[in-house]
Amino acid sequence: MAYIRKRVRGEHPKLDMTPMIDVVFQLLIFFVVTLKQEDILSKLSAARPAPDPNAKPEKQLETINIIVAPQGFLLNGRPMRKEELDRQIGQFAAISTTAMVVVRCTADSPHAFLVQALDICNKHKMVNLSIFSM
Amino acid sequence: MDMTPMIDVVFQLIIFFVVTLKMTTDVNPDIILEDGKHGVTITQDKTPPTTLEIELDRKGRISIHNATLSEGQLREILRARVNRIGREFPVLIRADRRTQHEKVKRIMDICTGPGVGIWKLSFVAVQEHKAHRAGN
Repeated sequence: MAYIRKRVRGEHPKLDMTPMIDVVFQLLIFFVVTLKQEDILSKLSAARPAPDPNAKPEKQLETINIIVAPQGFLLNGRPMRKEELDRQIGQFAAISTTAMVVVRCTADSPHAFLVQALDICNKHKMVNLSIFSM
Repeated sequence: MDMTPMIDVVFQLIIFFVVTLKMTTDVNPDIILEDGKHGVTITQDKTPPTTLEIELDRKGRISIHNATLSEGQLREILRARVNRIGREFPVLIRADRRTQHEKVKRIMDICTGPGVGIWKLSFVAVQEHKAHRAGN
């Protein structure tokens, strides 16, 4: 009792902050390390029309056919790389951005190629996009 | 030395990190998305609450909010939703960049199939990388 009374009556009682600061810094380091920034996402939209048995041949002439294969892309039957496809779609878009773009995917093509093809079409503001599966 | 300002700042930082920390993820973390810089940015405030995001991982596992579903279950969920709110809700397909198209086709077939009939589909891509990429 004598000891307690002595401490309370002391003129400058000091609180030891060291353990609290230690804990707070530990928490801060934990939160800094576990903080994970999230990617900014986008969406690439396309229609998946039902096969139309009454499609007219003259309508089909206006379409741009992109085939997505495991090796890469074919534009109107011509194989090409992504950069070349980008350039070609850009040329089509300069004439008309409302032309029908039909993206046909083979079963074994990676999904990344479909997204790349749609991204190129979005880049050039092509608005009529359709996806078919082969 | 007066420690009060430093302790104030440190507590502010801790409160910030506690509030922004997301301990559990509601999307499949194994899915690696392809880059799509020119798509429409997905923002929380512009995404309608009726949006349905279907996940597809590399092996073809279908999930919604990281809960695995069979094709039949996905079909039933879509049919029930169409019956309840109609066909006008957006469908986002969050597919792994490495998955084969035949697996994506299965989801697209369910969306366009009988009883559902959603013809406009959107694919999720990464517009800008902020997080570290796990690898290809």
